[in-house]
Amino acid sequence: MSTKGTHIPEWLKVPFAGITPAPTQEKGQDLFPTGNWRAIRPVYRDKLPPCNNACGTNEKIQGYLDLVKRGKYLDAYALIKEDMPFPSVTGRVCYHPCEQACNRGKYDEAISIRAVERFLGDLGQALKKDVVTPGKPNGKKVAVVGSGPAGHSAAYQLARMGYKVTILEKSPKPGGLNRGGIPDWVLPQDILDREIERLVELGIEIKCNVEVGKDVSWDDLKKNYDACVLAVGLTEPNSVRAEGENKQGVLYGLPFLRDIGMGTSKVKLGPRVAVIGGGNTAIDCAREALRQGAVEVTMITVEANTKEMPCSPEDLHDMLEEGVDLWHGRAMTAVLGNGKVESLQLHPARFSGAINASPINIDRDAKPEEFAVDNVIIAVGQHASLAWLPAEFKNERGTIKIDRFGRLGDTNFFAAGDIVQLGAGQPLMVVNAVGDGKRVAFNLDKVIRGEALQPRTIAIDVIMDLNRMNMTYFPHFPRVQQGMLNPVTRKKTQDEVIQAFTEEQAVEEAGRCFSCGTCNACDNCYLVCPEPCIARPARSNGLYKILIDYCKGCRVCIEECPTGCLEGVPELDFDTGVIRMDTAFAITQGLHGRQSEELRNLAERPAKNI
Amino acid sequence: MSYTELTVWTRGIVMDKEGRDIVNSVSASARKEGKYAQAMENYVDNPDRTNAPTRKYCRLSDTVLENELTYENEHPNIVVLVEGTMVKGWDYMRGMPPGGTLVINTHYTPDYMIRFVPGAERLSQLVCVDAARLAHHKWLYYRLGELGLDRLSTEGAAERSKLVAPDIAAPLIAAVVKTTGIVKMETIKPMIANKNAFEMALTELHVMPLSKVAV
Repeated sequence: MSTKGTHIPEWLKVPFAGITPAPTQEKGQDLFPTGNWRAIRPVYRDKLPPCNNACGTNEKIQGYLDLVKRGKYLDAYALIKEDMPFPSVTGRVCYHPCEQACNRGKYDEAISIRAVERFLGDLGQALKKDVVTPGKPNGKKVAVVGSGPAGHSAAYQLARMGYKVTILEKSPKPGGLNRGGIPDWVLPQDILDREIERLVELGIEIKCNVEVGKDVSWDDLKKNYDACVLAVGLTEPNSVRAEGENKQGVLYGLPFLRDIGMGTSKVKLGPRVAVIGGGNTAIDCAREALRQGAVEVTMITVEANTKEMPCSPEDLHDMLEEGVDLWHGRAMTAVLGNGKVESLQLHPARFSGAINASPINIDRDAKPEEFAVDNVIIAVGQHASLAWLPAEFKNERGTIKIDRFGRLGDTNFFAAGDIVQLGAGQPLMVVNAVGDGKRVAFNLDKVIRGEALQPRTIAIDVIMDLNRMNMTYFPHFPRVQQGMLNPVTRKKTQDEVIQAFTEEQAVEEAGRCFSCGTCNACDNCYLVCPEPCIARPARSNGLYKILIDYCKGCRVCIEECPTGCLEGVPELDFDTGVIRMDTAFAITQGLHGRQSEELRNLAERPAKNI
Repeated sequence: MSYTELTVWTRGIVMDKEGRDIVNSVSASARKEGKYAQAMENYVDNPDRTNAPTRKYCRLSDTVLENELTYENEHPNIVVLVEGTMVKGWDYMRGMPPGGTLVINTHYTPDYMIRFVPGAERLSQLVCVDAARLAHHKWLYYRLGELGLDRLSTEGAAERSKLVAPDIAAPLIAAVVKTTGIVKMETIKPMIANKNAFEMALTELHVMPLSKVAV
């Protein structure tokens, strides 16, 4: 018999004894506030993914990978631009410490973060108008000396905060090390030119052919600007202190690359070239030498094996693929020849300390080798040229003396990039310089506004570890490989060696991200909760809401959270969430309470007359 | 003539035995001492549900218990919370006459816990004992997966361990007996399985004296 159309009188409608609304219904959870069953409260607490922590400029990598995964490329590009002024450049040249730190690397293969960054950077390059806008002008003028990665980054961040920024660059073209230290087949010049256009669009004035100490003095900077960022870099190449280093045909790594990059190179290499050094610049020099017409290129390093070399292993692999010979455990002690390089004298050598750049022990008693070459390129590091700087701001390493905020004493001068990082423990890489420039820009802003400077500190337990995540949800999946040009043909051209991701590849690769310790709105907690305790007003990162009055603390969501962003926090740590119930289930004293009252008074009442 | 009510609030299944051990051992000791005593569990609270709050009752009297058919303790003199978080959830102080005692299993001190206690002016003392640390390390990390494994919703009928107070009940019994003198220490101690935790609790409990009431 159907009850359809049956009239239910008002007084019989729920709730009444026995029929109560389900917890999914309105008011249903008010009747049974079982939140006080809970000893552990689930809390969404985002942690720091290791990639973000390892990145020199702390890009929000998890954030943009997540956005790429969802197809929101422009949002992803805007997010990356918060910390990184030129993702199209770092997407090509970065030594990707993020990928080394990636938790996925301990599981199957690290995410190809750099390739996704390059995808976003190229997307940004194609935009007619950049997403970044200059800040509201605050009337302050800042000079940035040097337009390399650190100067570029500092100028960019300052312009976003509303400063009137002028970049002073001593070379004929801006770009610094990005232009002069990175060959065309890694970073095409037009990409960099476009990024520098973006700076000009932000209202930054770039003055080329202006050298501090020659065209502008320290006092000029002090007088004409409210503050100044010195990002002059290390410009002078180190010598190996070998005999005959002044002979014709001896080249130095960075000037060699710089002249080619600036288009002012007059070098004509012979068929046999030796490269001295084992770092990234040495590798770039060796590969560039092939492209400049050398036939046999030999790299000579002091390091005993490839593992000790202070370079990116991928670049080393690509170099060997192109046919560069690699010799270990030797040092060049003399350049032989009559006015021009004819051969090198090599002695066995090793580092006397455990680390690179420690003094070299050369075994001069051993029989020297003679190695015939037409040219030798020496790439064993750089040092600063700071004759214009007041002596009080120089330190014993020959760089600028700064406090931990990048400031020179009590002045409004700040320094960033290689000029302060040399010997400070960080590798001298583009991304570290960018991060340095960014931090210095924010510190400069604080000083100008008269705020106290605070060091950046991260508690170590906040960095998410693989063991704290639920790997059940992540099937093994190989990394998407970037395409490469054939080593035989590429070594004769200036074409870009590593190919870009297509859109599908970028989305696929971003989809591999574990989102370590950070909510990526995967909906898993919402699905596994055995009760309707998790509300989802909008599907977005970190916007789930746990109904604390009803959650019984069963921990299922915490155990099942794939990313580990849900944490169980002892309930007693919270002052909130106090609900006083009268019995286990009811908010009012129920039937049994009344019954017991009657039973208690039983003896005082007269027996019933039956 | 003295009449005392003891109410234990505990969690269904995972800490059911602990609560039961407290009321059973106290009433058994009282009978040995020649008192009239009674211990029972509350079935209204649905104790066969994991984590559900459950009450256990115990009554002691020098004379015959007049209210032995009453199902709940209406005026508990002593309240024990076997799990510390329960301090936030219920009106366990309901019906407590002035001069009562509240014993909580927690690693916090009474200074912190007093903020959660409703009607604390009725207490003569607030006792906190870190039973989890004293008894067994598995109780430190309150995980259902580990605690609930050998616990069945059979009200103790199918329990494997026949021991009395092998775990966190032992320090809680010690705290109750030491601070209230409800039964004699020498009567109850031989019943307790976890003697080590029992004795450690005697020295390591935190007592916060509150308003004294003439009984």
